[in-house]
Amino acid sequence: MDFGKIFSVSLIYATFRSATPIIYAALCAAITQQADILNIGTEGIMLTGAFAAVAVSYLTGSWLLGVIVAMIAGLIMAMIMAVGHIRYKAEICAIGMGINLFALAITKFLLNSALGKSGTFSEPGIIAIPRVSLPFLAKVPFLKEIFDNWCITEWFVIVLIILVWFVFYKTVWGLRLRAVGQFPMAAQTAGINVNSMKYRAIAISGLIGGLAGAHLSLGYSKMFTENMTNARGFMGVAAMYFGGAHPILTAAGCLVFGLTDSIGARLQAYGVPSQLVLLMPYVVTIATLAVSMASKMAREKKKKSALAKA
Amino acid sequence: MNVAVKSIQKILLTMLLALAIGALFILFIGENPLEAYGALLRGAFNGKLKIGTTLASFTPLLLTSCAFAVAAKAGAFNVGVEGEVFLGGITAAYIGINWTFLPAPVLLIVCFLGAMTVAALWALIPAVLKAYYRVSEVCVTILMNSVALYITSYLVSGPMSAGVANAQSLPVTVNLPQFMKPSSVNAGLFIALITVVFMIWVLNKTTFGYKVKTVGTNPSHAEYVGISPKKIFIQSMMLSGALGGMAGCIEVLGVHGYFLNNFAAGLGSNGMLASLIVKNNLVFAPFMSFFLAVLKSGAMGMQQSTGVPKSIVDTITAVFIIVATMELLFQFKDKKNKKEKSK
Repeated sequence: MDFGKIFSVSLIYATFRSATPIIYAALCAAITQQADILNIGTEGIMLTGAFAAVAVSYLTGSWLLGVIVAMIAGLIMAMIMAVGHIRYKAEICAIGMGINLFALAITKFLLNSALGKSGTFSEPGIIAIPRVSLPFLAKVPFLKEIFDNWCITEWFVIVLIILVWFVFYKTVWGLRLRAVGQFPMAAQTAGINVNSMKYRAIAISGLIGGLAGAHLSLGYSKMFTENMTNARGFMGVAAMYFGGAHPILTAAGCLVFGLTDSIGARLQAYGVPSQLVLLMPYVVTIATLAVSMASKMAREKKKKSALAKA
Repeated sequence: MNVAVKSIQKILLTMLLALAIGALFILFIGENPLEAYGALLRGAFNGKLKIGTTLASFTPLLLTSCAFAVAAKAGAFNVGVEGEVFLGGITAAYIGINWTFLPAPVLLIVCFLGAMTVAALWALIPAVLKAYYRVSEVCVTILMNSVALYITSYLVSGPMSAGVANAQSLPVTVNLPQFMKPSSVNAGLFIALITVVFMIWVLNKTTFGYKVKTVGTNPSHAEYVGISPKKIFIQSMMLSGALGGMAGCIEVLGVHGYFLNNFAAGLGSNGMLASLIVKNNLVFAPFMSFFLAVLKSGAMGMQQSTGVPKSIVDTITAVFIIVATMELLFQFKDKKNKKEKSK
């Protein structure tokens, strides 16, 4: 095995590339988590977005329109979940799983009936999100390999991470959102409309989830397949737990999964069975999640015992 | 009006609403919904083969819905039943192929025990993580489903492969007897029915069942009266896993006769649906499983005789679950009743 070939410069971009869809998904989950809503429906929102993006891009020939419609589709799915959870008191896990199954079924149904395909939809008519080439980097050997030819949405995710961080921790809206999540009754006493805050959080989460899907189908790849999210939404939720819904830590968690994914892809060239490679990101996700939660609990215990002594 | 009647009424209303929304989708693609639903029923019940197929797809759902409900009674959201079905299946296949030194009846029992043990141990992982480290069991079990799928897929295309084009194992040496041939309905149906009745008895009439329900409704109360919530949570998750493993074992020994790659796709999630729709009520869950089995097995017939793709069935069941989870949706009648009473 040639480790130089596996751990080369191009691994940096490969890691980031396979982490991006998960980062979007994790941000989608983080926003609702700040309002104390576990967004299990991330997967479904993302899948709907992925389908809407490909379908619209194929039918209209505009990737931008595809992305916008994907975000609207994500918003619709999220609002079904929001109304069910807030207005009709549905259990969030149950309705989230409902949304996931609904997304899986409806995208399959529309793929069969509206586009007349089954399984995979990959046509030359699909317009992908354009990539940005940076000509001034062409002569810089190291940076060129890392930064050249990124997809627009890959650049945008960095903006989004910072934006979400800023909104959470530096704005009044973010403070209110976190207040609703941590102690809804106190928030209500302070004059914050808790339900309206929750609706807004889920709505924004839906927009980001739709964008996550659009990036997956038009940026990361250029096609739609049934269940193409393949538990990426749940990996996002796991990363959100890992980072404690903090956007920057969460994104860092996603990079771990991205790294496993891209190392695995390289290992496959050395005869490691594909199934074992494919299950690696899942195992790593579970392991990181377990370790991060265990250490968090240990920290909390320590804090408590310190208080008891004082 | 007593509680059971009310909940049945609510389930039926939800069912009608889901079918109506499904009809809208069918109209949307320019087909006749009544014709499509007619074809669906014909596809599920017309002839011995079709009834047999419906019953065959009913068998695993009985067990998976029961598995989900048992975990839910202790407050766990066990999405991992599907992975447990896969692992139970592969264990049953391994024992059924290799342990031929045992006489057939013993081998059959060992297959079941092996499948249930492995699946229960698989469910132990998320249970311990949740009970001791508060790791979301939803997330872990979903991710573990993919892991289970890839492990079994690796085994049947590598070490346990039969060497044919399809990824499948060698045929097992013991089988559950099939009746109503040529359909694949088998003695597993009765095993599943007996198991479900047994589980209803366990949960409603035994101390263990009482403990499980106490932990599920109020863990702090459980702790006060001397029940360890962690222990009971883990035990009920393992029980749930064992039921999933049993479903996998029946599928392998009764339906296929070998381990077929990806054979359990959707079994776990449909069982979960059936259980969620009836609010994890073990008595209603079998009926809902039957309804879903009818939808599933009739879907193919509907696709063949009308232009409606069979994925509409998944859409209807998904709408069903979304509507069913909304606790307050059909409460308007209650308000009226209360007003009348207060007068």
